[in-house]
Parts: sequence; C-alpha cells; structure tokens
Amino acid sequence: MGDYHKPLPKVNGDSREFWTGCKRHELRFQKCKACGYVRWPASVICPKCYSQETQWIVARGKGKVYTFVVYHVVYHPGFEKDIPYVVADVELEEGPRLLTNIVSCPPDEVICDMPVQVTWEDITEEFSLPKFKPV
Amino acid sequence: MLESGLCNYVVLSYGHNAFSSDSMRRMLMERGADDPVFGHFGAAAGYALAARRAMHTFRTGPETWKQIAVGQRKWANLNPMATMVGQKMTFEDYYSSRWIVEPFRLFDACLMTDGGRAIVISSAERARDLKHPPVLIMGMGQHNPSYDVHQATHLAGPTGAKRAGEMAFKMAGVTLNDIDACQIYDCFSYTVEITLQDYGFFGPGEGEDWFKGGTIEPGGRMPINTSGGQLSEAYTMGLTPLSEAAMQLMSRCGKRQLGPATNTKSSEIILCSDNGAILQTHSCIILRRS
Repeated sequence: MGDYHKPLPKVNGDSREFWTGCKRHELRFQKCKACGYVRWPASVICPKCYSQETQWIVARGKGKVYTFVVYHVVYHPGFEKDIPYVVADVELEEGPRLLTNIVSCPPDEVICDMPVQVTWEDITEEFSLPKFKPV
Repeated sequence: MLESGLCNYVVLSYGHNAFSSDSMRRMLMERGADDPVFGHFGAAAGYALAARRAMHTFRTGPETWKQIAVGQRKWANLNPMATMVGQKMTFEDYYSSRWIVEPFRLFDACLMTDGGRAIVISSAERARDLKHPPVLIMGMGQHNPSYDVHQATHLAGPTGAKRAGEMAFKMAGVTLNDIDACQIYDCFSYTVEITLQDYGFFGPGEGEDWFKGGTIEPGGRMPINTSGGQLSEAYTMGLTPLSEAAMQLMSRCGKRQLGPATNTKSSEIILCSDNGAILQTHSCIILRRS
C-alpha cells in the first residue's frame, strides 16, 4: 500500500470520527438527539434545529445515486489510470449525501437514482475509503 | 455609501492573470475539503453534477446547451475584444469538442482570461455631468442558498436566481415583459439555462424550445450575453455581464450594439446576473438607459 499516489483525507477534529469509522468499515454520521436529523459534514450544531446534543450512528451503507459525473480530464496524476471514472453524490437511506466514486459499473451504465451499496477500498495503513457499487 | 454621503464615487474592479498563471487553477483545485480524495476537483465538475441532476429532473442536456454556446459565439464574432472573435462555432463543432467532465464538453465551459474590468458608480445627480451618459440601477436582489453543496437541493433549481430575481423585479417595478436583453453569468452553459429558467423566462425543461431558432443570437428576440460572455469573450467574474450591460445601454458596443446594427430591439432595460461557488450565491441587477 506504499504506492498510493492519490490525495489522502485531511483529518480534522470534526471529521476524525468519520475517518476512524471508515478504517473499521463503518460509515459513521452524527444524529441530532433533539430532532433526529442525520447530518454530514460533521458540525457542532444541528443545521435543522440548532441543538448541540448529538450522537454518532453507523449507517447501513445503502442509498441511491443523487447525481454523478464522468471525468475525462486528469486533474491529478494519481487518477490518470482511472480515466474515465465516476464521481457521484450518493444519498444514503439515513439522509446525508456523500461525495464518492461509483465502482464495479461501466460509467455509461450509471444513472441517477440507481440503488447502490458501500464497498470499502483499503488504501493505506490509516485509511479506508467508502465507495459504492450497484446493488 | 453613495446615498448616505460617505463617498462620491465607488470603483468596482476585477483583474486577474488567470490564463498565464496557475493561480486560478490552484485555487479551484484546492476547494472542497476531502473531495480530492475521490478525484473531484475544480468548478466544472461541481456544475456538471448540477447539470446531470437537471437532466434527470427535467428535460435538458446538450441539445439545449449547444444553442447557448453557439449563440454566444455569434456575439463574440462581432466583438473585437473577445478571445473568440475570429473563431466560428457550429453545432457540429460543439458536439465534436472533447469531454471534460461529462455531461460537459469543452465548449460548455468558460474561458480562462488575463484581463480586468472596472465600473464607476456614483449618484444619478453627479453622473449627469460626466462624459458618458450614465446607466441607472433600477433594482437588485440577492439570494444565497449556500449550504454544503453535496447536500444541496437547488442544483436543478430553483437556485438563488428565483428569489433574487423576484426581489430585483419588485424593486425595479418592472416585469419580464419589460426586459430587452440579458447579460447572464455563464461560467458553464447550464448556468445560463437554469438562471433564465429560475427568472421565469420558461418553465422547467422548456429551455430547448425557448432557445431554438436563434432566440439569444444577433437578430433574435431576446439577446443574451452580447459580448460573447464568459464562454466566448472573457472571464472577469460578475463584471463580464455587468460591464456589457452598461456598455450596451451607453451605446458603446459598435458592431454588436443592440438595435438596428444587429437587427434586434433597441435596449432600454437589461437584466444581469452573477453567481458564486456551485450555484450557492446569486445576485440579480436590472439596469436602465438614462
């Protein structure tokens, strides 16, 4: 895994719980204890009801493609061999949308609202990435 | 500031060497938290995500966007200042331009420009004595749905253009029927479509028919982006549309001047837009000839 040449997550105090969960192959999000809203990105206050009471939950890893694009241009040399690749916003059953990649599916077969489920890519000792494949 | 007497003149300016340096590209590459982890960079892909959702939500796509790209290019061909003044574009050229981030081709994207613009704003009373006839601000509005873009519900409209437009029309005391031409922020072709749709020029998915037949081109019934816009003249942020509206209303546009020179209606009132991030901020301003 020492030959991984793509950008790595820039972990901060807000996102640490998420990326630590990913290492264990768990998709963790904050759920507001007051109104139940599940949110992403992580924040100290619920954007719906402004409560600071929160708990972390593990999402089931199922959702659908809200929208997607197909990259034909190399913006970063680490992705050169992946062209054409799919970047998507996946809407999870619990509510949050996650920016990710659709894998195990030819780019021209991806459509909006298609059901997908998480699949894990272990990239370094420290990080695993949640990607999604067709159900 | 002008009305309260804090100052007499305000200069609104922008300048950048975005074409010859990498500063704009680097700024765009480094936005968006952990997006680069998944190979997601820049602004084109962000707007492409919005455009794809719009293709799914209502009927739009390249058949609509080609008319924006080609129509604006015809205006640029009349503008000696435009980057693309000497280069024609046909629908075939549009379709054969390479994919950048699908559903966007190269010709759906704006230019990178070395250049700048400036506009001087003063009171109407003071402006009366200046060298050029002034242009009057009739109304303006802003609306900024600026939450995390990946959670956004506005990608396929209504964007901030809807409420910003309503505010501007109310302040100006005019309606869509009074608008003679538009200068629309056009970082990407789809931006023009969704902005006009949210202002109410046509319903969701009716854009393809509305644009068809040269509506926005020289000779058309609703000229749009008469300098060539950011797609074909120059990218100077919101000052590309705003400066063109002011120049048109001052009758300083030469071969591309609205009126008899371009077989279009002479313009009294022009609508302008600006937006930021991925459709996350929006400004609308309505200008009138003095």
